[in-house]
Amino acid sequence: MSLKDRVADILGKDLVALNEFRGDLCIEVPKGRIVQVLAKLKEEGGFDFLSDLFGVDNLDLYAKAAKKKKKSQEESEDTGETKGKESVQPRFEVIYLLLSLSTNERLQVMVRVPEDDLELPTVTGLWKAANWPEREVFDMFGIRFKGHPNLRRLLMWDEFQDHPLRKDYPLEGKGEERHLNYDIA
Amino acid sequence: MADWQIDLIKVVFIWVWALLIAVVMTWVERRASAMMQDRLGPNRAGPFGLLQPLADGIKLFTKEDIIPERARKILFILGPPLFALPAFSAYAVVPFGDKIVLGGKEIILQVSDVNIGFLYVLALGAIGVYGMVIGGWASNSKYSILGGLRATAQLISYEVPMGLALLTIVLLYGTFSLREIVLQQQGTFLGFLPNWGFFKQPLGFIIFMVAAYAEANRVPFDLPECESELVTGYHTEYGSMRLGLYLFGEYVNMGTLAAITVSLFFGGWGLPYVDMSRFLGPVSYGIASFFVFFLKQAFFLFLFVWVRWTVPRFRYDQLMGLGWKALIPLGLINLFITALLVQLTT
Amino acid sequence: MKFQAIQGEGWLLTKAEQLINWGRSRSPWPFPYGTACCGIELMCALASGYDMARFGAERVAFTPRQCDVLIEAGTITKKMVPVLKRIYAQMAEPKWVIAVGACACSGGVFRTYSTQQGIGSVIPVDIYIPGCPPRPEGILYALLKLIDKIEADHPLYKQRPKLIEALEAYK
Repeated sequence: MSLKDRVADILGKDLVALNEFRGDLCIEVPKGRIVQVLAKLKEEGGFDFLSDLFGVDNLDLYAKAAKKKKKSQEESEDTGETKGKESVQPRFEVIYLLLSLSTNERLQVMVRVPEDDLELPTVTGLWKAANWPEREVFDMFGIRFKGHPNLRRLLMWDEFQDHPLRKDYPLEGKGEERHLNYDIA
Repeated sequence: MADWQIDLIKVVFIWVWALLIAVVMTWVERRASAMMQDRLGPNRAGPFGLLQPLADGIKLFTKEDIIPERARKILFILGPPLFALPAFSAYAVVPFGDKIVLGGKEIILQVSDVNIGFLYVLALGAIGVYGMVIGGWASNSKYSILGGLRATAQLISYEVPMGLALLTIVLLYGTFSLREIVLQQQGTFLGFLPNWGFFKQPLGFIIFMVAAYAEANRVPFDLPECESELVTGYHTEYGSMRLGLYLFGEYVNMGTLAAITVSLFFGGWGLPYVDMSRFLGPVSYGIASFFVFFLKQAFFLFLFVWVRWTVPRFRYDQLMGLGWKALIPLGLINLFITALLVQLTT
Repeated sequence: MKFQAIQGEGWLLTKAEQLINWGRSRSPWPFPYGTACCGIELMCALASGYDMARFGAERVAFTPRQCDVLIEAGTITKKMVPVLKRIYAQMAEPKWVIAVGACACSGGVFRTYSTQQGIGSVIPVDIYIPGCPPRPEGILYALLKLIDKIEADHPLYKQRPKLIEALEAYK
C-alpha cells in the first residue's frame, strides 16, 4: 500500500486535495479539522515527528493568476461559461512538514487561512516542537494560534507593529526603530 | 644606623621588589602565553614589549573612573585595596635571604622574624578573599556576586587542606617561624638528598601546591572570574585603576605563594650540597642568598603561568569534589603518618 | 617672566600628553562584539599567525568597563541596537569604536526591515573596515590606524586652562 493510499485511507473525507510532485506528497486539509487530522496522522500514520511549520503568503500569486485568466477570457470572449465559477483562494497557507521516524517517509500537510479569519488551533499539544515555529508564523504573517501557551513575537521585538513577511510589507521596512527605556528605578 | 632605619629600608625594599615582580609577571604572563600559543605577544612597547605593563598602567590610570549608580560606594572603593594589601603584607614574614653584614652589623634579610609567621601568612591569605567578596557584593551585579561567592566557597574548601599540609611541616620542624624552618632545611639527609621539605613531605607539597593555586584563583581553579560563565566574575563592574589593583593583587598573591612554597619546601635561600657562606664574603653571601631565593621563587612563578596556559578549568562541582573528597582525606592521612613518624623517631 | 613651560604648546603639557598617548596607544584592550561571520575573522586576528596582541590589544574581556576599543564585527539587527548603545554607554572614557565589515559599516547585503543600516547612525565610529568579511590583515590595519589616531589625540586639552591656572598660582 503506497503512502498516498494510506494517507487517503486514514483521513477519509478530511482530505481536500492531494498533490504529488516528484515524490513529495502534499495534502490539503480543512482549516477547522487540522488538529484532529494531525493527531490521526501521528497516531495511525506513524508521522511522529514535526520537522517544521511555516506560513506562505500567496498575495501576488493568486492575483497574477486571476489577472491572467481574465486576460485569456477577454481574448476568447465567446467561451464565457467558466466565468464566476473560480472562487478566490485564501491568501495564506500554513504548512506542516511531517516525518515518520520509523519508515522515513515525509508528508506535507497544508491548511489555507483566509485573510479575514487569521486564526488556527495550535498543535503544541501534539508536538512541543511547534512552539517556536508557531510563534515565528505569528510574528511574520500575523496568523494567531489559538491555545498557544506563549504567543509572543519570536524574531522581531515586542513593540513591532507589522508582520514583515507579508507580501504587501515593503522589504526595507517602514522605518521602525527599536527604543528601549531601561528601568533605572 | 638605628634599627628602625634598617627596618624601614627593608620594608621599602621588599615592597618595591614585590611590586616589581608583580609588574614583570604581567609581562611574563603575556609573553609566555604567546610563546605557548605560537604567537609573539606584546612587543611594541619598549624592547621585547618590556614596558607593556607601564603602558597598561598609564592607560588604566587615565581612564574614566566608573562607580555604578546602584553600587555600595564605600565598599566598592574598599574592595580592590582590601584584595591587594594582604598579599603585600604577607611578604613581611618571608625570609628572602639569609643575612648580610654591613658596617659590622648583622642584618637578617627578612622584614620581621615573627615566631608565628606561619599563622600570619595563613590569616592574610584568608583576608584577601574579603576583597573579592566585598567587591563582588558591592558591585550590585549578578555576575560579580556569584564570583564573590565562589571565591568564598573555594577559599573555605581549600584553606583546610592547605592548613593540613602546612601542619605536617610544623610537625617536622617543630617551629612556626619561617626563618627557623628554612635554617633547618640546610644540609642533607639520608646522605644524598637535600634536607628540603619537598623530599620529606612530597604528598604535603602536592596538596599545598593544589591548594595554593586555588588560593591564588589561578587556572585551573579560576572559577571566581571564569569568563565563559561569569563575564569576568567578581571584578565585572570594575574599570580603570581599581581593576588594575585587582589584577595586580593577583600577581602579588602569586609572588607571596611562590615565596612561601620556596621557603617551606625548597630550602629557602640555600643551595643544595653547597654552603655558600664558606667561600663568600659576608656582603656577597647576603646578596647571593637573596638571588638564590629569587631564582627559586621565579621558577614557581613561572610554574603558575605554565599551568595556566596548559590545563583547562575545573567545573564547579569537580572543584568542590577535589577539595573535600580528595585533598582533605589525603591531608589528614598525611598528617597522621607524619605525626606517627615524628613521634617514633624522636 | 611667563611660565614658558606651560604656555601654548608648552613642554610640560605636551610631554604629559605624549606619555598618556604612548600608554593608551600601546594598550588598546578590545571588546569583541562579534555578531556574525566577521567575528570569526576577529578571532583569527587575535590568534597566532596574525596576533593582534603584538600591539598590546590583548586581554579580551566581555565586560565593557574594562575595555577601550569596541570592535563591532558583524550584522546589527534593529532588535540589537539598544543593546549595542548600552554597551557603548557602559564603556569608560576614553573609548573607540571599530566597525568591521560591510554589515557594520552600511548594513551590507541586508538592506531589509530588520537590519540596522550601519552602526554609524547609532554610535560614533572611529574606523570603518570594508569587506565581507575583511581579512585579519584588514582588522590589524584598522588597529594601526586607530593607534595613529590615539597618538594624535590631546587628552589634556580640556584640562589645559585649569592646569595653567594652577601652575601660575604655584609660581
